[in-house]
Amino acid sequence: MMRKKVRLLAVLTALCLALSGCVSIQVFLPEDLFSDTSEDYVEQTESEVLLPEEDAKAAQGKDSATKDKSKGNQTREGTKKDSSQAEALYQFSLKDVPRFSNSPYVELNGNQPVFEDTTTTKAFETYSGLDKLGRCGVAFANICPELMPETDRAPIGLVKPSGWHSVKYDIVDGLYLFNRCHLIGYQLAGENANPCNLITGTRYLNVEGMLPFENMVGDYVKETGNHVLYRVTPVFVKKELVPRGVQMEAWSVEDEGEGICFNVWCYNNQPGVTIDYATGESALTKEKKDSSVVKTTYILNTKQKTFHLGSCSTLHSIKEENKKKCRSSREDLIAKGFKPCGTCKP
Amino acid sequence: MHIIVCVDDNLGMTFNRRRQSRDRVVRQRIAELTRDGVLWMNHYSARQFAREELPQLRLDEDFLSSAGAGEFCFVENEALTPWSSKIERIYLYRWNRRYPSDRKFDLNLEDGGWVLERSEDFPGFSHETITEEVYAR
Repeated sequence: MMRKKVRLLAVLTALCLALSGCVSIQVFLPEDLFSDTSEDYVEQTESEVLLPEEDAKAAQGKDSATKDKSKGNQTREGTKKDSSQAEALYQFSLKDVPRFSNSPYVELNGNQPVFEDTTTTKAFETYSGLDKLGRCGVAFANICPELMPETDRAPIGLVKPSGWHSVKYDIVDGLYLFNRCHLIGYQLAGENANPCNLITGTRYLNVEGMLPFENMVGDYVKETGNHVLYRVTPVFVKKELVPRGVQMEAWSVEDEGEGICFNVWCYNNQPGVTIDYATGESALTKEKKDSSVVKTTYILNTKQKTFHLGSCSTLHSIKEENKKKCRSSREDLIAKGFKPCGTCKP
Repeated sequence: MHIIVCVDDNLGMTFNRRRQSRDRVVRQRIAELTRDGVLWMNHYSARQFAREELPQLRLDEDFLSSAGAGEFCFVENEALTPWSSKIERIYLYRWNRRYPSDRKFDLNLEDGGWVLERSEDFPGFSHETITEEVYAR
């Protein structure tokens, strides 16, 4: 009952804020960086990120999240004392994020999250309202068993996050480039078709980037019954409609971070596809259009994430349900996380 | 020695110096498996066990060096390649989930002379299906 009240309050206030357009996350970059995440990606300058205290107020309908940023910055810096690296001040900046290089995530701040209160065992979940461009903001929750869903997830196809495009590529797992990515995963808080919890994210962001962290937190909470502070911050550049990525932070409360502790950046990229983050338009990258890329038929072991030649002597040891035939290039499979078999050496 | 390891779908073991996951059913199986022998692990791993219920437990930060033939080692955050020649059997528990990882299981099961002896699925407490695989040379 309490959980429903919290969720209802969050949704209602988020809708109010969406109408007033008072919540936003913006990162300012030079104009020429809009088209792609290139080498220049690390050249971005000033960042302006919605902060947790502001976000909590926003979700409770108490204050505008953007009119008080300087105060918010101080708050975030001040929260550093709660982590194990109390001396170092940390404020997120895209400058800290290396250029995407086919790794779904990188650690930030030595993997130390920055929460103001790391001891609370009060269940909560807050979602920022949509800004004037219809974009999501920070989502913050204290994950615990009472927030977790008891039913399977319902369809969310009616929600169209900012920058949404339904587009397919053969090189994308599941074909569709974009997924409706939950900021707070459904398995953690049961929040499903809430527009304030859904962003336009690549399949790679959803499955390779965010899902492993959601799984780790979800299984930890199920096993221990403990609380995990969990915050996901989508970062948009200027008026772009598709986020460049999300910052994910988590901290297990009862064991003071011994079980769960991370602060990572997950890239909203898709290997082989170039995305215009301003609009959500996309195209195969130049290299992938090159007809010189050699495609071969491989047998995938979807469980162990290995790929084999059709003549490999180890194929008989792979269960049929874990086998999948795939025509692809060696480079693409490796980019998707598959390893070449040590026996047939494809 | 026999080693016991838990891994995710990418053969990951830890992320940010923390185990990827845990499950009380796996702990029970490890306790039963090693009941009549010796079970080695380091202090980090021991924190997830009720030590009074594990009389076979031996604690040592250098346990892979200390373990003798036929003894068990529960390994969460150690490289195994340096001890490869000493390993007689591998008990691999697969979470059948994908977690982040920065330390992975570093033995090559496909090209290291290992043979899968048996495989068994069982339900965990916090994991829908866990797979126990046993490899021998």
